[in-house]
Amino acid sequence: MNANTASRKLLSLICIIGGAALIIASLVLDVMGDGAPAYGFRGAMLVVGIVALLFGLYLFPTLKYHRRLIYIIFLFPLLFTFAVTVIIPLCLGIFYSFTDWTGIQYTQFVGFGNYISMFQDPQFIWSILITFVFVVINMILVNLIAFLLALLCTNGIKGDGFFRAAYFLPNLIGGIVLGYIWQFVFNNVLINLTKTSWLVQTPTAMTAIVVVYIWQYAGYIMLLYITGLTQVPKDVLEAAQIDGANARQTLFQVKIPMIASTFTICTFLTLTSAFKQFDVNLALTGGTGSVANFMGKYLTSGTQMLALNIYNTAVSKNNYALGQAKAVLFFIILACVSLIQVRISNAKEVEL
Amino acid sequence: MKKGILTLLVAGALVAGLATTVSADGESLRLVNGKIEVDAALKEAAAKYEEETGVHVEIESMGGGVNIQDELKKQYQGTGMPDIFVCGSDADFGNWDGLLADLSDCAWAADTDAGYVGTDGLVGFPYTTEAIGLAYNADLLEKAGIDPASITGPESMRAAFETLDSMKDELGLTAVIGWCTESQNLYWSTGSHSFANYLDAGLARDDTTYSDLLADGGQIDHDRFLAYAEMIALFNEYADKDSGFLTSGTYDQQILGFASGKYAFVTQGSWIGATMTTDDAEQYAEAGNFKVGMIPYAFEEGIDTILTNSPSWWAVFQNDNTDAAKAFLDWLASDEGQEILVMKGGFISPFKSCSFVAEDPFAETISSYTAAGKTSAWHWLKNKAGLDQNATGQLYQDFALGSIPDAESFTQAMTSVIADYYAS
Repeated sequence: MNANTASRKLLSLICIIGGAALIIASLVLDVMGDGAPAYGFRGAMLVVGIVALLFGLYLFPTLKYHRRLIYIIFLFPLLFTFAVTVIIPLCLGIFYSFTDWTGIQYTQFVGFGNYISMFQDPQFIWSILITFVFVVINMILVNLIAFLLALLCTNGIKGDGFFRAAYFLPNLIGGIVLGYIWQFVFNNVLINLTKTSWLVQTPTAMTAIVVVYIWQYAGYIMLLYITGLTQVPKDVLEAAQIDGANARQTLFQVKIPMIASTFTICTFLTLTSAFKQFDVNLALTGGTGSVANFMGKYLTSGTQMLALNIYNTAVSKNNYALGQAKAVLFFIILACVSLIQVRISNAKEVEL
Repeated sequence: MKKGILTLLVAGALVAGLATTVSADGESLRLVNGKIEVDAALKEAAAKYEEETGVHVEIESMGGGVNIQDELKKQYQGTGMPDIFVCGSDADFGNWDGLLADLSDCAWAADTDAGYVGTDGLVGFPYTTEAIGLAYNADLLEKAGIDPASITGPESMRAAFETLDSMKDELGLTAVIGWCTESQNLYWSTGSHSFANYLDAGLARDDTTYSDLLADGGQIDHDRFLAYAEMIALFNEYADKDSGFLTSGTYDQQILGFASGKYAFVTQGSWIGATMTTDDAEQYAEAGNFKVGMIPYAFEEGIDTILTNSPSWWAVFQNDNTDAAKAFLDWLASDEGQEILVMKGGFISPFKSCSFVAEDPFAETISSYTAAGKTSAWHWLKNKAGLDQNATGQLYQDFALGSIPDAESFTQAMTSVIADYYAS
C-alpha cells in the first residue's frame, strides 16, 4: 500500500478525471437529450464513469485519507441505490409538485398553486377525514382482535398450530386478490342476506373495507403477539401463580406489562399500514360511493382514501402535478404521525 | 494491482452487457394494442407480415383495467416507447403532442374519414368501427309482437317495455332490460357510453352542440338531459333489480344474461357480439342463436340514429422506425391485412374500399344504419379526463339505488357534480 509510485499516481488521476468526465457527460446528455433513443448509451457511460472514478480513488496515493476512501467505496453501492430509489425520486417529486407536470413533460412553474387547489377540493378533505377515521378504528380493532387471537392460540387449546396458520393465511394473499375475492363475496354471496350489496353505499362500503382489512391484517399482528407472549419468562409466571394471582391478574399485571414493546411495534405497524391502505381500497370499492352533502358538494368518491385519491388524481384525472403535491402532503403527514407515535411509545416503555 | 485488473474486467463485462441490450434493434416494430380480445388476430397478421416483408412486429396487448396511457408514460420514462400504440381520447393524444408522426401521406388516409385529426395533423389510424345503440333480441321481440322499428320515442319505448314485462314468464325473461349501473367496474358503460347518448344521439356526425356546452365549464342542457333521465328512470324500473344485478352486477353477467335470452334489451354496444359468439357461444346457441339488432336510444321523439365511431386509434411515435411503422399500417389497411382483421378479429372495417364483412351478429345492423346515413358520432372523448370514473358513473348507481329519487333530481345532481368536476 505504500508504493506511491509516479505511474500509480498518474493512473489514479486519469481514472478520476476520466470517470468524472464520463459521469458529467452522461448526466448532461440525459438532461439535454430529452430521452432520445440515440443517447441510449448514456446509462452504460454513467456506470463506466462511476467505476473508473472509484477505481481512481482506490489507487489514489494517500496514507492519510486512504481508509476514509475505502469506506466510501464500500458504502457506495448502498448509497447509490438509496439515492436512486429514494432520495432522487423524493426530490423530483417535490420539484414536480410546483410545476404543471403531465407525467411526460412540464411547461411552467405554478408555485404553490397545486397545494392551494388541493385544499379547496372537498373530495380531498373528505379523503383525509375518512383515512384518519379508518386509521383510528383499525389501530384499535386490529390490535384488539389480534391480541385476543394470540391469547386463544397460546392457551394450549387443541390444534393451536392449525389455528395460527389459518388466521395468518389471509396475510399471504395479496391485497388486490383479496379485494376481488371479497368483492365477489359481498356482491354475489352476502347479497342474499343484505338485499343490496354492502359495497354500493358509502357507510356500509367503508365497513366492508374495515372488515376485509382486519381479516387480512389481524393474523399477522397475532403472530407478533404470540411471539411476545411465549417469550414472557416462565419463572415470572410461576411466581405470580405462587402469589395467588388469578388468570385475569396474570394477564393484566404480568403478561401485558412484560410485552409492552410488542404493543409498541404492533401499534406502529397497524398505524402506518392503515394510513397507506391502497390495494384493498382499490380492488374492493375503487373509491366509489357517494356522499350527498359534504361542504355543500355532492361527492362521488365516498370511499376513496388518501392513497387512492392520490393515485386517481394522477392516473385517472390525468393531473400528475396535483397528484405529486398531494403525495408530498401524504409524506409529511405520515412522517409526523410516525415520529409522534415512536416518541410516545418510547417514553412509555421507559416508565414501565 | 491484480485486484484492480479484476475490477476493470468486471466493469468491462458489465458495460458490454449493457451495450448489447441497448443496441439490439434492427428491423423490428412494437405495437401496443388496447383490445385484448383481438390479440390472436393481430399476432396472426403480424406473422403474415413478417413472412412477406421480413419485418418483425411484436404485438403487446393490454386490457382488463390496465391504464394504458399510464403504462405508456412509464415506458416513455423507462424502457423506451413502442412504435405504434393505442390512443383513445383527446386527452390521450394531448399527452403526446408533438411526439406523434403525421400520417396524412399514407395510402389509407383517403380511404376513410374515421381517422383522428389532432393538432399535428392526421395522427390516429382507425382500426375498427363500433356502434352504441339499444341492442335487442329480435326473436324475443317478434314473439312478443313488437316491431323494433315502431319504437321511436319515450311513449312507444315505455309501451314496449310494459308489454315485455307482462310477458316475462312466457318469454323466459329475468328482466326486460340488461342494464347495470355498478360504478366501480362499469362506470364507463354508464358514465361514458350511456351519457354519450345525451351528448350525441340524433345529431349529425359533426354536430358537437352538447359536447361543446359540456366543455365550456361542464354545462348541461337541462331539458335534453331531463328527457334522457326519464329514459334512465325507465331502465331502472325494468332492470334486474331483485338479484341486485342493477347496482352490483358485472359486465360478464350482463353479456351472458343477454346471450342466454334472459334480457330482451341490453345497454351495451356492438362489441358484445364477439363475446356472445366466443366466450358465451354455448349459452347463445342454447338460446337459439337469435338475431340481434339495435334501436336508437330514443329519449326524445325523432331521435333516429345510433352512435358509431372508431373506439380508439393507433398512433405512430416519431422515431427511426416511423417509416416502417407507417408501412405496416398501410399493409393492415390493404386487402390482405383487412382480411385477417375483419374475418379473424371481427373488426368492422372503417375503410370504404374494404369488401369483407365480419361474421359478427351486429355487423349487418351497423352496415344498414351506416348505409341509411342514420349514424351520429360520439364525442365523449372530449370529456374531461376521468369524468366517468370519478363523477358521472357514481350518479347512475345512486339513481338506480333510489338515493337520487327522480329524474329531476338526477338532472340537478348531474349538473352540479359535472360543473364541480370541470371547475376543479
